[in-house]
Amino acid sequence: MSKISAPRSNREFIEACVKAGDAVRIKQEVDWENEAGAIVRRACELGAAAPFMEKIKDYPGFSYFGAPLSTYRRMAISLGMDPASSLPEIGKEYLKRTNSEPIAPVLVDRKDAPCKENILLGADVDLCKLPVPLVHDGDGGRYVGTWHAVVTKHPVRGDVNWGMYRQMMFDGRTMSGAVFPFSDLGKQLSEYYLPRGLSCPFATAIGLSPLAAMAACAPSPIPEPELVGMLSGEPARLVKCETNDLEVPADAEIIIEGEICPDYKVEEGPFGEYTGYRTSPRDFRVTFRVNCITYRNNATMTISNMGVPQDEGQLLRSFSLGLELEKLLRSQGIPITGVYMHPRSTHHMMIVGVKPTYAGIAQQIAQLAFGSKLGPWFHMVMVVDDQTDIYNWDEVYHAFCTRCHPANGIHIYKNTTGTPLYPYATPHERKYSIGSKVLFDCLWPVDWDKTNDVPTTVSFKNVYPQDIQDRVLANWTAYGYPQTK
Amino acid sequence: MNQWEVFVMDMSELAEGKDLALSIRTLNPGHHKYTYKHVRCQVSSNLDQHPDRLQVRMGRGQLSAAKFSIKVIEEIQRMPAKYA
Repeated sequence: MSKISAPRSNREFIEACVKAGDAVRIKQEVDWENEAGAIVRRACELGAAAPFMEKIKDYPGFSYFGAPLSTYRRMAISLGMDPASSLPEIGKEYLKRTNSEPIAPVLVDRKDAPCKENILLGADVDLCKLPVPLVHDGDGGRYVGTWHAVVTKHPVRGDVNWGMYRQMMFDGRTMSGAVFPFSDLGKQLSEYYLPRGLSCPFATAIGLSPLAAMAACAPSPIPEPELVGMLSGEPARLVKCETNDLEVPADAEIIIEGEICPDYKVEEGPFGEYTGYRTSPRDFRVTFRVNCITYRNNATMTISNMGVPQDEGQLLRSFSLGLELEKLLRSQGIPITGVYMHPRSTHHMMIVGVKPTYAGIAQQIAQLAFGSKLGPWFHMVMVVDDQTDIYNWDEVYHAFCTRCHPANGIHIYKNTTGTPLYPYATPHERKYSIGSKVLFDCLWPVDWDKTNDVPTTVSFKNVYPQDIQDRVLANWTAYGYPQTK
Repeated sequence: MNQWEVFVMDMSELAEGKDLALSIRTLNPGHHKYTYKHVRCQVSSNLDQHPDRLQVRMGRGQLSAAKFSIKVIEEIQRMPAKYA
């Protein structure tokens, strides 16, 4: 692999974004109560530069970095690519790196770990010493974890999991979070810790390098510490926690260590969610008891403000879900041309391009997609043919509206795994994470006669001889039209 | 006077004249704003009835126009002692 020059920490990433014009330094004081959240939200809705807020009310010495990966430009910067790289180019690079050899992390001494510059233990532990923001007015609490990694390890198998499970500050030593039963951590709790009444050690890492955050957000089967190495081209630097055996990113801005309580729950939510709504009900959820906080000098908290498109939850999750499904479908030998999830679908719709070489190929794709580990995160699959540009919504929408048979092309799957976050779900379905799925098959049936039954697409590219097309293009400005790309 | 806030799904959860067990969060300014306590308390729509004020939000964060006074009788320790 050629040398990758990706930002190795949140601080390097901020500098790279500022240099590229993709982050702004905000010097004036910003309030942690709503104002910081409102700035991030507006930046997301405008697709504007990421706000680096250097002065936080009540919290001298701390700063915020909002909307870290809510544009493809910042995603390209995080990968060490040209910010102007196209989405297919970024996707190709992601696939290349994540199909390479795993790169194991290295354990560094605590003296070489910036996250150990300040350590709070015992009576000093108080989450309120951190500038935990009230992200949206009306949220159930101040959210510690919106762009972070919750680190856990399976006590028997040793599997390490970094997951982005939202965490609300309940009091100075307690957080509550949304951990869905189908998630890696949810399964770990239900299969091991809860039946035994044992606490599960955890560590929350905030202010990660952008590629560590990308790994925590990606639904990849590769252990996240190795995935970070593959994405960045060098081993991730980890350090032991102070109060448990977990290993955390040494260059993170803030580490919160503690235990997940098997026998105690406090309320969590409501919260503004990636779907663009507050949907999931306030409920008693997984509860995290904090035993230690460590942080860098002048620590920067990262904030993702989820809401209407587009924020990094939608953009990065769509990106990684789409590419992980692409890997899965290719591994099964299905002749796909690509997979794309538009972030504005709030990662609910997979668009799959395929060469329709046999009957039932769209159903096969949908069953694999919905039946995989990725499945609970989306509920629509749209399959188009290899002549349709999956990145061009105009083409996809045209295919959907004209080729998807209302009676034969829409396939519904009931009683699947869902999430409490689905805005369309009934209150009962939300409570029990019950879902439904739908396939939109936009392929011409293979048993139609290709000459007489399949309609001909009437477009400039498709119905005119090449010499006519060339002549028209060559004379376009001579006809009086402005030059087009 | 302390300012508190509570989330309810239905206003009937705030029955007046009875001892209630609620999770309420402080709205007092400072570092601990929005942190919660489990309390045994009484509430009243008569704002002069009890010493503190209680603001109400509904299940999805909507602020209610209803205002209450509240008397916190005691803090309830629900958390097992082993986590203290």
